Amino acid sequence: MSSAELASRSGCKRTEVMHDDCRTGKGDTMSEAMVKHGALPTAEGGGGSMRHLNALTAVAGGVALAALGWLISHHFMQTDDPETSDQVVLITLGCWAVGFMAGIGAFAGPFRWLLGNDLTHADEMHLAGKDQGVGRYFRFTTDHKVVGVQYLIVTMVLLAVGGTLAMLMRTNLIVPHSNFLGPQTYNSLVGLHGIIMVIATIIMVTGPFGNFILPIMIGARDMAFPRLNALSLWLLVAAVPVLLSAGFMGGIPTGWSAYAPLADQATPGMDGYLMAIVIFAISSAVAGANITTTVLTMRARGMTWTRTPIFVYGVVASVGLALPALPMFMAAQVELAVDRTMEGQFFIASGGGSPWLYQNLFWLFGHPEVYVIVIPAVVALMELTPVFARKPLYNFNAAVLGIVGIVGLSIMVWAHHMYASGWAPDLNGPFMLTTEMISVPTGVLFLVVIGTIWRGRIWTTVAMMSVYAMLWNFIIGGVTGIYLSDVPADYALHGSMFVTAHFHYTLMGAGLTGAIGALYYWFPKMTGRMLSERVGFVSFWLVQIGFNVTFLGMFAVGLAGQPRRVFTYPHMFATGNFISTIGAYFIGIGMLITLYNVISSWRSGLVAPANPWGGKTLEWAVPNPIPLANFEVLPVVISDAYGYGEGDPQPPHWRADPHSPATPELVPAGAGTTISDTEGSPQ
Amino acid sequence: MRPMTITTSMDHMATRTRGFSRRRDVRQVVALWAVLTVLGVVFGLFVPARLMGPPASPTMRGIEDTMTVFSVAAAPVAAVVWAVALYSLLVWRHKGAGPPETDGPALRTSRPAAVLWILLSSVLCVFLLVWGLAEMGSVATAGSRNNPMVVNVTGNQWVWTFDYPDKGGVQSDQLYLPVDQPVVFHVRSKDVIHSFWVVKMGIKVDANPWEVTQTSVVPNKLGTFDIRCAELCGLLHADMETSAHVVSGAGFTQWLQAHGGHA
Repeated sequence: MSSAELASRSGCKRTEVMHDDCRTGKGDTMSEAMVKHGALPTAEGGGGSMRHLNALTAVAGGVALAALGWLISHHFMQTDDPETSDQVVLITLGCWAVGFMAGIGAFAGPFRWLLGNDLTHADEMHLAGKDQGVGRYFRFTTDHKVVGVQYLIVTMVLLAVGGTLAMLMRTNLIVPHSNFLGPQTYNSLVGLHGIIMVIATIIMVTGPFGNFILPIMIGARDMAFPRLNALSLWLLVAAVPVLLSAGFMGGIPTGWSAYAPLADQATPGMDGYLMAIVIFAISSAVAGANITTTVLTMRARGMTWTRTPIFVYGVVASVGLALPALPMFMAAQVELAVDRTMEGQFFIASGGGSPWLYQNLFWLFGHPEVYVIVIPAVVALMELTPVFARKPLYNFNAAVLGIVGIVGLSIMVWAHHMYASGWAPDLNGPFMLTTEMISVPTGVLFLVVIGTIWRGRIWTTVAMMSVYAMLWNFIIGGVTGIYLSDVPADYALHGSMFVTAHFHYTLMGAGLTGAIGALYYWFPKMTGRMLSERVGFVSFWLVQIGFNVTFLGMFAVGLAGQPRRVFTYPHMFATGNFISTIGAYFIGIGMLITLYNVISSWRSGLVAPANPWGGKTLEWAVPNPIPLANFEVLPVVISDAYGYGEGDPQPPHWRADPHSPATPELVPAGAGTTISDTEGSPQ
Repeated sequence: MRPMTITTSMDHMATRTRGFSRRRDVRQVVALWAVLTVLGVVFGLFVPARLMGPPASPTMRGIEDTMTVFSVAAAPVAAVVWAVALYSLLVWRHKGAGPPETDGPALRTSRPAAVLWILLSSVLCVFLLVWGLAEMGSVATAGSRNNPMVVNVTGNQWVWTFDYPDKGGVQSDQLYLPVDQPVVFHVRSKDVIHSFWVVKMGIKVDANPWEVTQTSVVPNKLGTFDIRCAELCGLLHADMETSAHVVSGAGFTQWLQAHGGHA
C-alpha cells in the first residue's frame, strides 16, 4: 500500500483537521483566477436562453400549458360523458409534462440545432453546470455528478411520500374495523404506495449511483450522452407531480397492478397513474440507452470486461433489463388510456378485447422489474464487500454469470403471477420450472458474497452491516419465493398477505437495504462528507428489526388466510396485524433518522478524505471535490480492482494514460491533487 | 498451466479437502451450520403448516406438506449462508476503530466450492420441480374422479353466489357441500375480476367476467370454513367473504330440500 493511500485512510479518523474550505472554496478561487488570466474560457456568454431557465420556469411553463390545455379541452369537450373528464385530465397532464420540459430547457438544444445555431463550447460548459454553485442542481445540467445528486434527491422524496402512505395504511390496520381511513381512501393509498415505491426502488441505485459513481468507476469524463442524461432526470421530475396528482383525483383504487376491468371503472386518478407510467417509461428508456452506451464505449483503456467492477455489471443488467420490460408496461397503459377515453376495447372482453392480455403485458414488465430493482442493489453490496472484508471479490466469473443467468431467466417467468388467473393452466408447469431455475443463479450470488466474507478482515461499518442484513432478509425472501413458485402452494397463498411480505423481503429487505448500504459507502464521494456512523447504526437497527417484525407478522397472517389489499380484517388476524403495525412504526422512525443523518451530514458532517474506505475502484482515486471532468489525465487500467492481500505493497491497478487527450479547459485547475499525486507513481 | 491427469487432480483435491477440514475455523463454522440447520428443520417442521391451520381437504394437506418439505429442504442452504455470516461477525470481525491494518487472504476462487454449490442447488431445484409437478397432477385429478358435483360460483361486487345446476338450481349466498364428495366449481364474475378462495381447502381461482374458470376439491372435514375474495375488486373487497359449510350427505340433502331442490 502506498504511503499516500495510508495517509488518506488515516485521514478518516482525523478528518476534523481538514478545513471546510478545501471542499468548495479553494477550487472556485483557483478557477476564478484562471479565468482572470485567460487560461480558461469563461462561462460568460455561454448558455444562451438556458441561462434563464431553471426549475421555477419549468413549473411555470408546466402550469401555464396545463391551464391552457385544460381550458381548451374543457371548452370543446363539454358533455356529460364520463369519458370526457378522462380526456380532459389526460390532455391537461400531457400539457403539463410538455410545458415543464420546455420550461426547463429540454428543447433548447434541438431547437437551436434546427436553426443551424448549435451549442458552442461555452454553451456546453454552461450546460455542464460550471461555476453555478447550488443553482446547477435546479437546472437542465448535463454533468453526471449533478444528475446523480438530483436522482438521489428525487429518490428520497419518493421514498418519503411512499413511506408516509405505508405508515397511514399500517395505522389503519392496527386494529380490525378501524375507521381511520375508510375503504375508499385505504384502497387508493394501496395503489399509490405501490407505484410510488416501485418507481422509487427502480431508480434508487441506478439513478444516484449509476449516474454519479459509474462513469468515474469506469474512468470516463461523463456519460456518453450528457444531454440525454439531463433529459431522463427531468422527465422523471415531470412525472412525479403527475403521479401525485392521482391522489387528488380519487387515487388509484386498483392496486399498483391496475388490472382491467377494474381500471376502466376507476376515477380520473387512474389517468394520473397511467400518464406518469408513460413519462417514466420514456425517462427510463433514455437513461438505460445512455448508461448502456457509456459502459460499452467509454470504459478506460485496459478496462477489459474481466477488469470491469461488478457494480458496473449490476447497473447494466438492471437498465438493460428495463429496456425491453418497461415498454410492455407503457404499451399497456397507452392501451388502457385508449380504453378509458376512446372506447378502445383493448382490455374489454365484451368488445373483443382481453383482460388477460393486460395481465400478460403487466407481468412481462412486472417480473423483470423486481430484478431491475434487486440486481443493482445486491450488486452494489457485492462491490463494497471486498472493500470491507479486505479480500478480493470471490469468484468474479460466477458473479457475472449469476447476474446474466438471472437476467435471462427473469424474462421467462412472468406468468407465475397468473397461476390462479385461469389463463393457460397448461403453462403453469413450464413457468414453475423457469421460476425455480432462478434459484440457481441467485444462489451463486450468495456464494460470491459469503466467499468474499470468508476469513476476511471484516470492518463492520453501516455499509458492511447492510451486506449482513441483505444476507438475512434475501434468504427469507428467496425461500418464501420458492413456496410461491410451487403451483399448488400458490393456489393457497396467491393474493394473500404472504405475497406482500415475500416481495417486501426482496424489494425492501434486499433492495432498499442495498441502496442504503450503497449510500453510506458512496456518500463521502458524492458530497465530500461522511455520513455519521453512530447515527447510522441507530437507524440501521431500528429499520432492520422493525422490518423483520413487520413482515414476519405479515407472513403469519398471510399463511392463516388474510387477503392482501384489505382495509379491514376479521378478529382472527388481530395479533399479527398489531405486531406488523408496531414494527412498521420502527421502520418509520428509523428511516426518519436516516433522513436526518443525510441532511445533517451533508450540511456539517466530517469532511471526507478522497478514499475513506480504502477502496480500489477508480472513483476513490479522484480528489474531493471531484473536478468537472473527473480525471485530469485519464487512467489506464492494468488489473481488476479487487487485489486485496496480493503482494505488499500492492501495485496500483491503474496508471495515468500517456495518450490521454489533454483537456485542461475542462478541469478547474488546482481543484485537487492530480491522480499521480494521490496514488504515488506506478512502480 | 501444468497438465494434470484426472487422478492427480483428484488426489490434489483430496489433500486440500483434508487440510481444509482440519482448520479450526472450518470446524467451528460446520458446527454452527449444524446447529442452524437443526433449528431451521425444527422451524420448518412445526411452524408454517401450523400457521396455516388444520386442512379441510387432501389438496390443503398436500400444500401444507409442501410448505413443510420445502422449509426443511431450504434449512441447510440458508444455514450455510447464515453460519458463515454469523461466524465472520463473531470471529473475523476487525475489532478497534478505523480500518483494518492488514488485508485478508487473497482467495480468488475455489473450483470445488463453486462446483459443489451449483450442483447442489441444481439438484434441489430439480427436486422442487418434480415434487411440484407430482402434486399438481394429484390436485388436477382431485375433483374430476367419481362423478363430481358441479357448483356454479358467481362473484359480483361484493358478494358470492352459489348455485347447484344438477340439484334443481338451488341458489344460496352460503356454500353447502357434502363431505367426501368431489366438487367441481365453475367460477365466473358479473363485473370485475374476483378470486374465489376457500382458505382451508387450498383452492383458489380467479372469477373472470369473460370466461368460466374451474377448480375442484374433495372436502374431507366437517365444519364451517372461510371463503374470501383474493383479488382487489373495488371498494368493499375486504368484506367480500362468506362461509363454506361441509355437512354430512344426509344433512346436505336436507339443506337442498329445504331450499326447493332435490338430491
